[in-house]
Amino acid sequence: MKRFGGFEALHGIDFVVPEGRLVGLLGPNGAGKTTTIRILSTLLAPDGGRARVAGYDVVTHPQHVRAAIGLTGQFAAVDEDLTGRENLILIGRLGRLRRSVAEDRGAELLELFELTDAADRVVRGYSGGMRRRLDLGLSLIAAPDVLFLDEPTTGLDPRSRLRLWEVITGLRDGGKTIVLTTQYMEEADQLAELISVIDAGRIIAEGTADQLKTKVGGDMLDLQVLDRALVPAAAAALARAFGVAPGEIITDAELGTVLVPVDAGAAALVDAVRALDAAEVEAADLGLRRPSLDDVFLTLTGHHAEEPRPDAPEPKLRRGRRRD
Amino acid sequence: MAVVAAPAGRLSIEDRAALGPPRVVADILLVARRNLLKVRRSPGLIVFSTIQPLMQLVLFVFVFGAIAHVGPGISYKDFVVPAVLVQALAFSAMGSGVGIAYDLQSGMIDRFRSLPIARSAFLVGRTLSDSVRLGIQSLLLVAAALLIGFRFHNGLPSAVGMVVVIVMFGMSLTAFSAWVGLAVKDPETVQPAVFIPVLPLVFTSSAFAPVSRLPGWMQPIAKVNPVTFAIDTARGFALGDETLYRVSHVHLSTALTQFLVSWVLIVGIFTALAVHRYRVG
Repeated sequence: MKRFGGFEALHGIDFVVPEGRLVGLLGPNGAGKTTTIRILSTLLAPDGGRARVAGYDVVTHPQHVRAAIGLTGQFAAVDEDLTGRENLILIGRLGRLRRSVAEDRGAELLELFELTDAADRVVRGYSGGMRRRLDLGLSLIAAPDVLFLDEPTTGLDPRSRLRLWEVITGLRDGGKTIVLTTQYMEEADQLAELISVIDAGRIIAEGTADQLKTKVGGDMLDLQVLDRALVPAAAAALARAFGVAPGEIITDAELGTVLVPVDAGAAALVDAVRALDAAEVEAADLGLRRPSLDDVFLTLTGHHAEEPRPDAPEPKLRRGRRRD
Repeated sequence: MAVVAAPAGRLSIEDRAALGPPRVVADILLVARRNLLKVRRSPGLIVFSTIQPLMQLVLFVFVFGAIAHVGPGISYKDFVVPAVLVQALAFSAMGSGVGIAYDLQSGMIDRFRSLPIARSAFLVGRTLSDSVRLGIQSLLLVAAALLIGFRFHNGLPSAVGMVVVIVMFGMSLTAFSAWVGLAVKDPETVQPAVFIPVLPLVFTSSAFAPVSRLPGWMQPIAKVNPVTFAIDTARGFALGDETLYRVSHVHLSTALTQFLVSWVLIVGIFTALAVHRYRVG
């Protein structure tokens, strides 16, 4: 549990990360993901509850926890005035590696993260993606038992994000124990073996991506109407046709989309075409798909994952400048 | 990805978490070395923070020196140079807090705090590197002062004594500056936040005029002002006890005692405050 002022930021975060697995904490901004990571990495003291990392209690044995973890936060924490290599060797040695080992591992990580060419350049000139990769390298240099990745791809361009995903996938498949937070469904879907959905400071669902999708039940009928003004008409027609409460239908008037949970399988498509025809709504696109994690989130919480919770206080600006 | 695996012969978590004295010293040296590397990477910083006091030297020595007299047998130049040096290092010490605020902003402090290093290593390492920086700067300034005609009147050991006093005084202010840096957090705000209390302390001290010649209301402040203690001590070393007593009515032994007591208090109080700030994050 964690309180900031009168605001209870976390209450009911309870999860277990099996050794060698990648667990994703999925939730919107302000859900408590970063607070959870900061407590687990001993940067913040909890107001209640218990947390153990690599077998050590974060409150009573913080020093042991620090010896076991690597942390990559939301902002690349790298030293601007040092070269990539110097950053790695410094953090490696502070992480209890002998100098020669730190040098060797530093060189390997530079190679792995395609930073060898920039290794001896000062970080000030690195791109956002390069900083993030170096940052990840810094968390890995001392070979931590547990790795925390707090929104590792936030603010990255799509290409850099894909490259970082590859790296994280490699770490996951290499058997590293990882806790990753993200507000992106796609990211959790791609990377996490187990997902804990977190909203408003509590975990509201857990399981594999597939298990979570099954929670929503059935399939999603995904309609794109030609005339966006007809979204309400289409929603009403489909609600009648499938006997679904209007509240369960997710519409987006701006995009002209209507999502309906159905369980009739392919027959639902036929029913939908008929219903739309009767209501004189023309479809630009109509399909059936497995629910995405976003659908899961909507079903569980009533809002999209990428929307911040409405009652959360403005997050305190931790950094004046965002460099990537 | 072989590098993901632990290196051969890696220490256990217990051993990595252990903080024996050699480990703590090594951590402090690593942090200090990193800070000095940063100073070397931006030499402009040390150059400009030396040029500014050089201009002050010229102003005080040649401009005010032309009209100011502090007593028989001592030139204003010899009187004022130790004070300008103390002031220069005091201001230079303020860079400590700015550097810390940048470390806070860039996330480096969070990174250090998540490492299995001694909690003191970051701040002690910072003090160590700042002392080296201030030491270099003080030698540059002493050389410049000698070039424009300043003379030590009390032999080489005392000259060394003066340099030690002004570097020590600068060091004590880095503790204050570090605390402000950790508390204020924003690098741009740290600068004024450290100058606002320090600047008036410099002016209400024995820096530019003997305390007896200051306005009546200012004298009680000057007499208990730690800047006065540092400057009187530096002056006593540079000019000799007899000259110090003639202009300041205080003996070197008294000034030195006052300086050491105030030094311990400043370092103790602000280090404790800074360490607390660093711990709670």
